[in-house]
Amino acid sequence: MKIVIKKAGLLTSVQDLGRMNYLSQAVPLSGAMDSLSAQMANIALGNDANGAVIEFTKGGAVFATKSDVLLALSGDGAYLCINEHRLPSDRPIFIPAETELYLENNRSGSRSYLAVAGGWDVPIALGSRSTYIPAKIGGLLGRCLVENDQLNNIDDLNPAASAIWRSLQGDKTNYPNWKIAHDLFLPADRRTIRVMQAQEFNWFDEPSKAAFFSKTYVTGHNSNRMGYHLDGAPMTRVVEDELLSTAVTPGTIQVSNNGGLILLMADCQTTGGYPRIAQVVSVDLPLCAQLNPGDNIRFKKISWKDAEKLYLQFKHDLRKLELAIAEKYV
Amino acid sequence: MINIADNRDLTIYPISEGAVSVEFGEAIDESVMQQVNGFNKLLNEIPFPGMRQTVPAYTTLSVFYDPLVLIEGTLPGITCYEKVCRYLQQLMKGYELSIATVEDDLVNVPVCYGHPFGPDLDYVAVYHKLTADEVIRLHSSAVYKVYMIGFIPGFAYMGGLAAALETPRKATPAKAVPAGAVGIAGKQTGIYPLETPGGWQIIGQTPVQLFNAERQPPALLKAGDRVKFEPISLADFKKYRKG
Repeated sequence: MKIVIKKAGLLTSVQDLGRMNYLSQAVPLSGAMDSLSAQMANIALGNDANGAVIEFTKGGAVFATKSDVLLALSGDGAYLCINEHRLPSDRPIFIPAETELYLENNRSGSRSYLAVAGGWDVPIALGSRSTYIPAKIGGLLGRCLVENDQLNNIDDLNPAASAIWRSLQGDKTNYPNWKIAHDLFLPADRRTIRVMQAQEFNWFDEPSKAAFFSKTYVTGHNSNRMGYHLDGAPMTRVVEDELLSTAVTPGTIQVSNNGGLILLMADCQTTGGYPRIAQVVSVDLPLCAQLNPGDNIRFKKISWKDAEKLYLQFKHDLRKLELAIAEKYV
Repeated sequence: MINIADNRDLTIYPISEGAVSVEFGEAIDESVMQQVNGFNKLLNEIPFPGMRQTVPAYTTLSVFYDPLVLIEGTLPGITCYEKVCRYLQQLMKGYELSIATVEDDLVNVPVCYGHPFGPDLDYVAVYHKLTADEVIRLHSSAVYKVYMIGFIPGFAYMGGLAAALETPRKATPAKAVPAGAVGIAGKQTGIYPLETPGGWQIIGQTPVQLFNAERQPPALLKAGDRVKFEPISLADFKKYRKG
């Protein structure tokens, strides 16, 4: 299965679930910003959840199929369209060769993920297919996708993916009447981000800490895959110690020297020296990945113990979903 | 011999649902860093099931793990966090014995100092009322210690800089520092593995690749390594680059 990029859009790159094994050498995790949507797109096709997907930022990209393909799109950044007709997301779609598709902006989110049966075939670099652009690692030639790039799938389909392919194959665009229950994996309120108190939480005065959990913060305009500036009530320190650089990870909320909040995202550095006020719950990071500059969020405190429970429950639900798809088709 | 455990409990705190940091001290200190790196080696020799990565820093060792493996495993404890903490505490008890066996690698790094690679060599010299040659001699005669790898892939923060060379960062970072650039910032020296904006005072460049994703391991240096810089001529630099 093969596609060619006709228009790359804002920032388009190949990602999987990230590069975990080189953190000690300061190679960032990277991977899909909204790892939930990336996994939903893969699971809809019967793929391994870690299969390589294309991450699109907002709408604007255009691509064409060079062969018959089985694709799935997930995430709120854009709608997948053919001839002004929106295709449903979170389900497998058969599309015949020589079809032109494009991504139409979806204002409710920021990023969308395109999976192909078998996963996109780019070389594994340092244990992952994720693109880390600053060091030119992974993905297609270590860079974002550009016009005329061609991408193939890995032609070694799981039994479930093969069965879905056979069930939808034909001479016109075709998809089943079911979809992955993506919404069930997300909280109803997508603008309240749950966090745990981080190690330096008490380095800030009481009004700052109260503000952190009660005021609204606005996603800054210079937000990118490394992190977001969050505009809002500044944090005032009571402890003036200098923090020696230590490991940070996506979801860490740092406080810069002027009291501003920085939320670290997928491409963040592996170490940081700003005090950490909070850590975003892992299962809420996909909500952050869908924020647009100017979006308002609030923070709600939960315990570390509950966060771990949420993570394990999420993994458990994901496994159940994978099994349900496999059982349906194999 | 370093007194490691002091019979005290380790300070361990969570940094995510799948990672904890172990704190060995609060200031940059050779003995603290030796504990971090020694414990890092030990933990990587005897990892717990589900452990994925460790990230040593100045005073902390962070341990990343897969909660799914932990929760389905047999380590004692109710939560994954508790299981990991208990494992680390237990391992720490046998730690004093192993520290004596830690031997750090010595890595020689050739550097072409000054023109055309060290645009800030003269600034550093003038700042300290030294000649450029004296700066080169001082910088290349010390043995440095890699405190930590961070900032960008393969970037080594190194301590052991002669007090006479301590120079503040640039007020405005340079827009592009080339790969291999050797710099000074405060009490530390370091080498840029990739071209990136940077604020360190650049005094030379190494032809050696500090980071190469095609190589195993991709980073030339690791926390705990000792590093010696060896001055080379521009001709040698070019020869080295040609291979």
